[in-house]
Amino acid sequence: MGILNPAALPFVSLLGVLVLIYLRQRTRTRIEVPSLLFWADVPEDRVRSRRFRPDLLFFLQVLLLLLLIGGLLHPYWSRAVTETRGDRQILVFDLSASMQARENGVRRFDLALDQAKNVLHALAPLDEVMLIGIAARPQVISGFTTDHRLVLHRLESLRPQDTSTQLELGIELALVQRDRAGRQAQIHVFTDLSSNQLSLSEIQQQALTYHRVGETDDNMALASVHVYQNPFQDYSQAQAYILVRNYANRTKTATLRVELNGQAAFQEVFSLSANDTRSFSLSGFTGPGQLAVHLESEDALAVDNHALNWVAARRSWQLVLVSPVAHLHQEVRQLSQALPGVTLRSTRPEDFSADQVGEQDVVLFHQFVPDEAVPANSLYIFPPVENALFPVLTEAADLTILDWNDEHEILHNLQYVEALPFKQARILALPSWAQVLISSKTSHGEIPLALTGERDGRRLVCLAFDLDAGNLTDSDNLTLLVLFLNALRWLRPPNPLDPQLLPAGDVFFLPTDAPLDGALLSAPQTETRVLETDTVSLDRVGIYRVETASYRAELYANLFDEAESDIGRQTGDDTGTVQPAVSPGVRTSPEAVQREIPVEFGQNLYWLAALLLFAEWLYALWRSPLEGVS
Amino acid sequence: MSLTDPAFFKQLDRLRIRVRAARGHRPGETPIPRTSQAWGVEFESYKDYSPGDDFRYLDWNAAGRLDQLVVKTFTAEREIPFHLILDTSASMGAPTGDGKFPHAVDLVTALSYIALASNNTLRIAALSSPPRPFLATPFLRHRNRFLRVSPFLEALTPTGKTYLRESVQAYIRQAKEPGVVILVSDFLTRPAQYEAALLFLIARGYEVKAIQVLGESELHPERLFRRGKLYDVEEQTERWVTLSRTNLEKYHHALSVHCDALQQFCHKHRVLYTRLSTAQPITETVTETLAQVGLVTLH
Repeated sequence: MGILNPAALPFVSLLGVLVLIYLRQRTRTRIEVPSLLFWADVPEDRVRSRRFRPDLLFFLQVLLLLLLIGGLLHPYWSRAVTETRGDRQILVFDLSASMQARENGVRRFDLALDQAKNVLHALAPLDEVMLIGIAARPQVISGFTTDHRLVLHRLESLRPQDTSTQLELGIELALVQRDRAGRQAQIHVFTDLSSNQLSLSEIQQQALTYHRVGETDDNMALASVHVYQNPFQDYSQAQAYILVRNYANRTKTATLRVELNGQAAFQEVFSLSANDTRSFSLSGFTGPGQLAVHLESEDALAVDNHALNWVAARRSWQLVLVSPVAHLHQEVRQLSQALPGVTLRSTRPEDFSADQVGEQDVVLFHQFVPDEAVPANSLYIFPPVENALFPVLTEAADLTILDWNDEHEILHNLQYVEALPFKQARILALPSWAQVLISSKTSHGEIPLALTGERDGRRLVCLAFDLDAGNLTDSDNLTLLVLFLNALRWLRPPNPLDPQLLPAGDVFFLPTDAPLDGALLSAPQTETRVLETDTVSLDRVGIYRVETASYRAELYANLFDEAESDIGRQTGDDTGTVQPAVSPGVRTSPEAVQREIPVEFGQNLYWLAALLLFAEWLYALWRSPLEGVS
Repeated sequence: MSLTDPAFFKQLDRLRIRVRAARGHRPGETPIPRTSQAWGVEFESYKDYSPGDDFRYLDWNAAGRLDQLVVKTFTAEREIPFHLILDTSASMGAPTGDGKFPHAVDLVTALSYIALASNNTLRIAALSSPPRPFLATPFLRHRNRFLRVSPFLEALTPTGKTYLRESVQAYIRQAKEPGVVILVSDFLTRPAQYEAALLFLIARGYEVKAIQVLGESELHPERLFRRGKLYDVEEQTERWVTLSRTNLEKYHHALSVHCDALQQFCHKHRVLYTRLSTAQPITETVTETLAQVGLVTLH
C-alpha cells in the first residue's frame, strides 16, 4: 500500500477549511421561530453551542473530500504476481566501413549477420533482445523485446556504413542497458575489431561475448588526398598530394587514377611492399573543379579506394584599407601588388563608410574602429583608445611574448613569433566572443596582443600593437609579414559555391539562415529526397548536395581512417566467438519470478465519491424539506 | 382550486357564517336562532293573535280547527356586523416557509366574501403594535365592497410583538354595535394575553369565534432543524437547542398544553374554537373544516 502522487497530500489541509466553514455556518445559522414559549422547558445547549459538534452531513462531506484527495494521491496496493520471463540479450553490431571488407567474396558484415542470427535463433521464446547498431554514433535500433522476428527483421535491414566506428561508446551503452530493472543481460558484440583494440576495462570485457569476424589484411587505401592552394593562388598553382598505403602483409600492385572534372589528369601503376606508404604529388591543373582520386587495386575493402577534393579557381577580391597613416597606405599598396587577385582600396577614416564594403571584401582598419558594424571580415590594427569593439584598458610599450596559440590557422607555419615587433601596444580587455592568439604579460596580468573570433557571423582579427614604417615591407620583419598574410588568408571568406570537404560520419549543419522548407538532399546510393531536419548525416562516401530556393551546398565526404582501412587487425588474436570469462549462466527453461506490482485504485475512489455525493444530496433533501433556514 | 378560482367563489356563495348569539338591529338575511319575528321566510312557530299583528300571517286553517286566532312567526333574519380580526404580529410570519400569514390572509379573504355575500356588514381589523394598535377598514356592506378587502390585506406584513389584549380592547372600544368577532391568530402568546382579549369581547356582548393557525414547522419542528440557534422573532431572543428525542417530546408536550388550554378556555366561555394547519389548502379549510366545526353553514 502506498501513494504514487505525494504532491496531493497538502490537499488534506482542506479538511481544516471544511471545519472552518462549518463553524462559521454554525455561528451564522439562525432559525426563526414564532415564539420560544414551547422551548422554555427544553434545556438550552449552552456548552455544546460553543463546541464543534459535526453532524452526519459534515461527516459525509469529510468523507467525500477524503475520497477526492485519495483519488488525487493515486493510492495503490501491491499485488504479488508470478511472472515468467527469460534472459536478456543485447546484440551490439558494428556497422563501420571495415565491415564491408570481403573475406573470400563474403562481406564481414554478412558473416557477422549470420552469427547474430544464430544467437537470435538460439534464444528461448521468452528471452528479451535489444539491438544496438554502431557506426559513427551508437544507436538503439530495437529496445528490449521478446519479438525475435522483429529483431531479426531489423537486423536484416541493417547496412554497413562508410564511416569509422565508436565501438567503445556502443558497448558502454549496452553496459548501461544491461543492468536496467535490476536484471542482467548478456552482451554480444559483432565486429571485426579485436577486443584488445578497445579501451575497455577488464571487467567490462569480461561481460562481453565477443563475436569477431574477419581475418584478411588485404587492403590498399588512400590515406589522404590534400589540395594545397592558398587564396592568392590560381588553379594552375594548386598542388595535390595523395598518400597511398598498403595495409597488407604482402606487396601489392595498384593503379592510381586521378580525374579532374571527369577528365584523366594522372594515372600510374605502382607496387607497394607490405605496410609501405607512397605519396604522389600533382600540380599544373588545367582548370578548377572536382578532383576525383581512384585507387584501382584488388583488395578486400573498396570504400577507401576513392576520394574527392576540389581545385578552386582564384577569385578576385578587394582589400579595403582604412588608416590615417600614410606610410601604411604605401606599404599595403606594395604588398597588394604582389598578391595576385587582390585589389586595394585605400581610404582615410574620415572618408570611410560601411556602404563601401562588400560581403566578400576584407577590411583592414588601422588606428580606427567604425561605430557601425561592418558587413565584412575585418582586421583591426592598434585600435584607438575609445572604440566600440575592443575595450582598451591602458597602453604599454616594449612588451615580450608570453604565449601564442600555434594551433590557430593564422599562426600556422609561423616561426620566430618572438620576433614580432611590439614597441607600442594597447592593453585590451578580452571580449567575450574572442580568443587570444598571442598574449603577453604586464602588471595587469596576461594581456592579449592579438585576438581573433567571430561576431555577428563575421570573422575578426585584432592586433593590439602598432606597425612602424617599413614593418610590412622590410625583410627584417618577415614574421610580421607572414602573420599579416595568414590573417588575410583566414579572413578571406570561402566561395560559398565551392564544395566543402568533410570526413564521412560527420554531421553537416545547415546555416541557421538557410530556409528548410522544400530543401532537397541528394546523397550517394540514395535517391533525392526532401530534407526534414537541418542536419545531414554523412554516412556514405561521395557527394552530397543540399539545395533550396536560396541556398545551395555541395559536400564531399571522404573516408581517411587508418583504423578502418587497417582491416588486418594485427593486434588481435580473438577471431571467432569469445565467451565471457564469467558466464551469466545459460538457462534453457524460463524463469518464474515473484514480483509485486502496484495496483492503483484511485479511480474507484472517484466513483465512490460520486456515489457519496448522490447520497449526500438525498440526505440534504431529506434534512431540509422546508425553507426557512436563514 | 384557490382564491383566484371563480368556482371557489361559487362555493362560497352557498355558505354563510353561522351566528348563534349575535343580534342585529337591521333586517337582513342572516337567520338568528331562537329569535322570531312576524315576517320572514323560515317558519318558526305560532303565537296567539294580538291586536296589531299582520292579518296576512293569520293561519286560517288553525283558526278553523282550534277556533282560535293564531299568527305564524318566522326565524328572525338580521344584518349582522362581522369583525374579522387578524393578528399581524411577527409570529404570524415565522417560519417563512410555513406560509402562516398568507394562509391567514386567505382565510380572512374567504370569510369576508362569505360575510358580504350574505348581505352583512363587515369590518376587518389588523391587530398591530402600539402606538397604533390596529388598522381597520370602514364598515363594508354588500358584496361589491369585497373589492376593497384584498388591497387592505395585501398591504399587511407581519411585524412587531403580539399585544392581543391591548389591540383588541382598543379596537372594540370604538366599535358601536356588537356582532360577531372572528379572531384569526396563532395565539402564540401567554394565556393571560388571549384570555383577557377574549373575555373582553365576551363581556361586550360579542359572539366570538377563535381560529388558531399553526404552521407545519410548529407542529413538526424536526423538519425545520436538528440543532441550531432558535430566534424568537417577537421577543428577539435566542436559544441554542439540540432537537433530541427528549427535547422534541418536551416541545410537543408544551405545545399540546398550550393549545389544550386555549381550547378549554374557549369551550368554557362558549367561544367557537378551531385549529387550522397551513398544510391544508384554503379551499378545503373553508368548505370542509370550518363547516365541520360549525363556523360556516349552507344557506
